[in-house]
Amino acid sequence: MTLVSQTLQYAISGLTSGSIYAIVGICWSIVFLISGVLNFATGEFVMLGGMLTWYFAKSGLGLGMAAGLAIMCTCLVAILLERLVISPIKHGTEMMFMLVTIASASVIRGLVLISCGTETRAIKPIFEAKSVNVMGATIMPQAIFVMGVLGVVMLGLYIFLNYTLFGKALRASSINRTGAELFGINVSRFRLFCFGLAGGMGALAGVIITPISFTGYNIGLVASLKGLVVSIVGGWGIGGTVLSGLALGLLEGFVAGFVSTGWGDALSLGLMVVFLIVRTFDFKEIQRRFLIDDR
Amino acid sequence: MTVKVFENRKGFLFFTLLILAGPLVIKSNYIISVMILIAIYGVLSIGMEILMGQAGLFSLAHPTWFGLGAYISGILTVRNMFPPIVSILVAGIIVAIVAYIIGAPILRLKGFYLACATFAIIIIAQVAASQLTDLTGGPEGLVGVPALSVAGFKFKTDLQFYYLSWIFCLACYLFCSNLISSRMGRAIKSFHDSEVASGSVGINVPSYKLQVFVLTSAMASIVGGIFCFYLRFVVPESFGFLLLLELLMMTILGGLEDIRGALIGTISVLWLKEFLNNYLRKVFPSMSSGFDTIFFGILIIVVLIFMPRGLVGWMDRLRNLWEKQFHRTSGEI
Repeated sequence: MTLVSQTLQYAISGLTSGSIYAIVGICWSIVFLISGVLNFATGEFVMLGGMLTWYFAKSGLGLGMAAGLAIMCTCLVAILLERLVISPIKHGTEMMFMLVTIASASVIRGLVLISCGTETRAIKPIFEAKSVNVMGATIMPQAIFVMGVLGVVMLGLYIFLNYTLFGKALRASSINRTGAELFGINVSRFRLFCFGLAGGMGALAGVIITPISFTGYNIGLVASLKGLVVSIVGGWGIGGTVLSGLALGLLEGFVAGFVSTGWGDALSLGLMVVFLIVRTFDFKEIQRRFLIDDR
Repeated sequence: MTVKVFENRKGFLFFTLLILAGPLVIKSNYIISVMILIAIYGVLSIGMEILMGQAGLFSLAHPTWFGLGAYISGILTVRNMFPPIVSILVAGIIVAIVAYIIGAPILRLKGFYLACATFAIIIIAQVAASQLTDLTGGPEGLVGVPALSVAGFKFKTDLQFYYLSWIFCLACYLFCSNLISSRMGRAIKSFHDSEVASGSVGINVPSYKLQVFVLTSAMASIVGGIFCFYLRFVVPESFGFLLLLELLMMTILGGLEDIRGALIGTISVLWLKEFLNNYLRKVFPSMSSGFDTIFFGILIIVVLIFMPRGLVGWMDRLRNLWEKQFHRTSGEI
């Protein structure tokens, strides 16, 4: 393999995982913007999507049917999570919500571990087609499919948030919750809807990535953290999240290809820490101080 | 403000006597080994309790300091650089320096950003521990740690470790409860409620934050050294997400508002875990591994929703009832 084809190969695998990070990041931002809850169970939705599809496919359903059922079940899990765990907490702080979702993530993980075991599972690609060769790099059709799904999700969200009344109300309540409530918007129902949407999208991400990178009961934590990194760096907006997701995916792809595979997770989390710290610096203050010193 | 130490002195003395005299009465190796773990985790949860409950710093990196302490003291001893007890102390100093370097920028973060960053540190440390194979032994862990010996006296039996760990744990408890009622403790509590207000009355908030962060991490690292010499090996898994979950469980179940909660929470969580493991291994032999996390997850949720003040809150309520009943003005636990 030449350097060009190698680079292309790593870029494609990076973009594929980057699309998944972007979708998971959108799940984080949607829930966070509407309800102020940092939902650490987001990665478990991804895991549930993959595992449930495997489970339903194993018990005899067709693959498309199994995927649809898995997405619906995960939506249900997310809605139940909101109703049973998040909404009983009145006057909760961000920290309390965070602890509660970390705990529920571990409950979901434990349930899957008991019922499906510790082995990694794989499912077949939804569209079976031959892989394409471009300049020496092999492109799996599933990779293109993953990026296509990211495009569709983005387009759908864009239309939904900008051109429907419900979506506009959602945006309004993310900007100012009290103001939206005064205009008669039922914010608590929106929170429920957002959890359901995040569950569905997370499960979708899980379904489409499983043919490429497999799934297991323990992938949720890392998926969660990647999504969190992406949405923090992207500034909790959809466009920023998608951009930073793709960038993170590319970076990880190149690091995994050219340096080593083991350090990928540490790299992205380290980047998040550095980003968070740099965010706290007051650059104008520094600039002013240095300018005054110069004179 | 009342001084907590004097109020609780009798309770603390009683508890100390109970712990020190316990092994004379109960001679079961199993109970003693669980009690050693309780002392070790107790120090960790006292640290978490001070950070989260008193200072309001949501720092989740506590398992990392514990792991770093264990690894550094283990490595220093395995490579014959220092005798064991010195390497524990050296590890404490190194971890304090590392915590200072990491804490200085990271404690600028507020609220859940701090939690996210410290959570990331746990994962980074785990990856590092399993990737730096030459230094740490990789995923298989660091093996061949010699026995702990202090000036010719070798710690071999569980009973010796029992006294070592509990004396350290009780010393930490006493130190921390004194600290909370000191000038520094009042400053810490004040910026829990409002950083702006406490800054405006002249409290140096960033400096106090850093001090309490470094102090608790040094405590965690020293107890990590003891843990390493007790088990004689270190694996990356013992300092990961599961330990964090257990520590959160201990501090939340015990109650975040009071330092007694840390010890009470540790004792109840670890005994509950042992009970679950023993009971489940008999009844459902196949599902003991996943059941732990499910049970503790549900317990955290239930405790946070229904009893946010934890077991200590209940204890105080019971004591108030008792005092009302018998018209006593002040009571002990």
